[in-house]
Amino acid sequence: MRANDHSADVIVIGSGVAGALVAHDLSAAGISVLMLEAGPHLERWRIVENYRNGANKDDNQQPYPASKHAPHPEYKPDNDYLILKGPDAKAYASQYLRVVGGTTWHWAASCWRFLPNDFHMKQVYGVGRDWGISYDDLEPWYYKAELELGVSGPNDGTDLGSPRKQNYPMDHLPLSYNDQRFSDVLNANGFRLVSEPVARNSRPYDERPTCCGNNNCMPICPIAAMYSGIVHVLKAERAGTRLLTNAVVYRLEVDAHDNIIAALYKDPEGNSHRVTGKYFVLAANALESAKILLMSNTDKFANGLANSSDQVGRNLMDHPGTGVTFLANEPLWPGRGPMELTSIVDHRDGDFRREWASKKLHLNNQSQTRKATLKALSMGLAGKKLDEEIRYRASHTVNINSFHDILPDPDNRLVLSDQKDALGLPRMEITYKIGDYTKRSAEHTHESYAKIAQLFGGTEVTFDDAFAPNNHLMGSVIMGSNPKDSVVDGDCRAHDHANLYLATSGVMASAGSVNCTLTIAALSLRIADTLKRQLGHVTT
Amino acid sequence: MTHRLVALARITLCSLLLAPLLAQAAEISTEQIKRGEYLARAADCIACHTVPHGGKPFAGGYGIASPLGTIYSSNITPSTTAGIGSYTLQDFDNALRKGIRKDGAHLYPAMPYTAYARLQPEDVEALYAYLMHGVAPVDIQPQRTRLPFPFNIRLSMAVWNSLFLDPRVFQPEQGKSDQYNRGRYLVDALEHCSACHTPRNMMMAERSDAPFAGGQLGAWYAPNITSDPVSGVGGWSQDELVQYLKTGHVPGKAAAAGPMAEAVSDSLSHLTDADLQAMATYIKTLAPIRNTAETKPAYAWGEAAHDDATLRGTSGVTQSSHATSPAELFSANCATCHQPSGMGTADNAYPSLTNNTALGHANPSNLIAVILNGVDRPLPDGRHVFMPGFGPDSMVNPLSDADIAALANYALKQFGNQNVHVTTEDVATSRKGGEAPLLAKVPRVLPIVLVVFALLLILGSWRSVRQRNLRRAVRPSPTPRAP
Repeated sequence: MRANDHSADVIVIGSGVAGALVAHDLSAAGISVLMLEAGPHLERWRIVENYRNGANKDDNQQPYPASKHAPHPEYKPDNDYLILKGPDAKAYASQYLRVVGGTTWHWAASCWRFLPNDFHMKQVYGVGRDWGISYDDLEPWYYKAELELGVSGPNDGTDLGSPRKQNYPMDHLPLSYNDQRFSDVLNANGFRLVSEPVARNSRPYDERPTCCGNNNCMPICPIAAMYSGIVHVLKAERAGTRLLTNAVVYRLEVDAHDNIIAALYKDPEGNSHRVTGKYFVLAANALESAKILLMSNTDKFANGLANSSDQVGRNLMDHPGTGVTFLANEPLWPGRGPMELTSIVDHRDGDFRREWASKKLHLNNQSQTRKATLKALSMGLAGKKLDEEIRYRASHTVNINSFHDILPDPDNRLVLSDQKDALGLPRMEITYKIGDYTKRSAEHTHESYAKIAQLFGGTEVTFDDAFAPNNHLMGSVIMGSNPKDSVVDGDCRAHDHANLYLATSGVMASAGSVNCTLTIAALSLRIADTLKRQLGHVTT
Repeated sequence: MTHRLVALARITLCSLLLAPLLAQAAEISTEQIKRGEYLARAADCIACHTVPHGGKPFAGGYGIASPLGTIYSSNITPSTTAGIGSYTLQDFDNALRKGIRKDGAHLYPAMPYTAYARLQPEDVEALYAYLMHGVAPVDIQPQRTRLPFPFNIRLSMAVWNSLFLDPRVFQPEQGKSDQYNRGRYLVDALEHCSACHTPRNMMMAERSDAPFAGGQLGAWYAPNITSDPVSGVGGWSQDELVQYLKTGHVPGKAAAAGPMAEAVSDSLSHLTDADLQAMATYIKTLAPIRNTAETKPAYAWGEAAHDDATLRGTSGVTQSSHATSPAELFSANCATCHQPSGMGTADNAYPSLTNNTALGHANPSNLIAVILNGVDRPLPDGRHVFMPGFGPDSMVNPLSDADIAALANYALKQFGNQNVHVTTEDVATSRKGGEAPLLAKVPRVLPIVLVVFALLLILGSWRSVRQRNLRRAVRPSPTPRAP
């Protein structure tokens, strides 16, 4: 049976990488899928032109203008979508997109696997939480996710700490001069710098071309050499998924057996619609998914659905980031190739994690010409001197950033605000505080930055110690084996509702030190496999 | 390279396995198998007899979308159950050169037996040796071809053959160089170039009055490759022709896409330089045929664009899926690789759109087909030219017929033949695989087809009688075919 606009075997809410992977896998197996997306469909070409026409080139949200009916955070100017509170409110000023294809329209495409110990933080290091599943449970799905997204990585035997059974689907791209030189210097001086796995084509793959180094992966890869969720949206639709855009889900309905029976959504005019299905996959990003559960409260489920543990919306995590910028004593010419190619990985794991956060540092390979020009102009230069200054700064600027682990803290939470959006739905109020566990690590990172700057005879060394968001939204619907203190089980199924699955980074019970997308993808493919079994379809 | 190593390994393995058999059939040598492998490359057997992207070599099953319906290629591995394992050399010759299967059924001329009919006996033997001993058997029966009535009557091909199949083996032309004769043999027999580059008549046979004058191949156009300096390749140097055959790209002239890219990838790029030089030598002698609608060579059009600066800021930041101008569509979809000027990159990795035959012919099929389907041209040296398509299967950005027509017209006006215009309907037709020839419009013209068919039957039987008589008359010295 094919899905229609009213019902399907499986209702998928959200069309980002998680929802699209589930929808595609199920549709390919002949299961009817209806996918609801709150935002509109944007043409890639339009996004490209928006980027070129827009004034704020640093603003990754700008080429994706928010819809009135389904806003997403905008900061230049601030549309005040997220109500941010707490001592580190600014560090949760997150970016995400409510459009078909989701937030991987703009991302670094880093596709790291988590480390085995990331899944057992409490058991191994006595801090944080355990997931209830292990790396080995996820390993085959990590590989399948790498195949689906098209991951290129170092096939030269480089050990990234996450044991592999197969090579990366593609070999890694050649390093830029900037990355090669940086890597040579750091590796000769006690650091460990590696080529990072990325969902970016180093050869034609999956009908998408090879990366040609446009160097604007964020906010948009103009040629789709970089993977984005839209790829699996297109594949899902071609496999039979029915996609409804501008459908803002605001409530899930439960029956007497606590099963989800319907999703209610509003169209841009505010009219309500109802769709029914046998299974529901909530894949609307960590914050919006939690919000939908909280909005679905009933007499029986007064705190919202899936929330008997009172953990929905809590344990918010990200990778608090710090940075450093300096002028090297040699030209490195950042800007050739993709925006990021390498990472410093010597503090991703170890006994230190009992005391302070693991982390990953990465060299920014974004072209520095624009910033160099702004700086040179601010120096009042003109003519030849202006050109020389721009050239010098564009070629010598080094910028390094970082991801720090953070522990899941129930007080870092999202609640529904009394304030409403254009459709009359409650806005989200987020309270965020970064603890000493992360701060201790950031102090150590500061010292590393200083050492690296010294290696390059750095001048104008500018530390950016204020924590910045990295938009890796985790923890909001946290996974665990105990229904009393977690929202979903090891299969990403809600403890409280047998037919509700959460395909979102919100389930992640530790933040680790790397981007969360590949883990979301792996978990989503595993959800699809579970659903195929439940629906009696043979699995591969 | 990998390809060759694998093939070599296959030969070695098969040679070992079949050593006792080979001992019996002492005349089959490793050298003969290797020669057969090269000839199979030159004849591009793999292109049709292997399902692209992972099909087992020579196991058939590739659906060739002919205007009359999908024709599935046969399994030509030495499998005795599904392939040609039970074929004798004579059976093989009948199929290859006469289009008749071992069971007596006629092949459709999607199999270019009209070209292979020229193959010399020792080459047929080498091909046979390779396919029987250098290829792994695959016991899988490919999907059966089921064309609609009346084309499902395979016997009708006997009539067609009596009209259009010239059974004579290639004979070197006296007074011409070895290089010319080798080239002619490669072009006319093995590479079967005319199968695409010669226009076809109402009965889908190559038009003898217009050899190599350019033919429509579904959504693609196989251009005129006669020596005419305007409509053909008269303006190309010998080395440019060789480079094109070897790599599919000559900056300032043309880049191969679609079926020609396949021919380059699967066949031409594997030929020796000497053979490519020979082909170019012969191609340069093809009698010129001019299309009067064409006023200058297809590669001689176009100028750099300067629209980028006028675009910035004009449409702001929006969710709209409607372009404000064709220039905006070009900027967003094409300029990232081909550059805002359309002149490509300095290293020609992204080709210039000016001086590019895809935009210069009076027939715009290739421009539309490239935008819809992209370019996919892997080469044996590891290079892989790939342009994504913007058609319904695009993973980059599927575009509408109207947007593709707008893009094509912008490109034609700026970079190509300004006399050519593309309509939305042209794009829709290309999407469907091109304009169907008259013969394929059976339901609408069935009465006419039946009349023609009946006439052909009469004509055919008369001609075959006549040919028999003729053959009797001229035996034993068959005259070589006129050039």
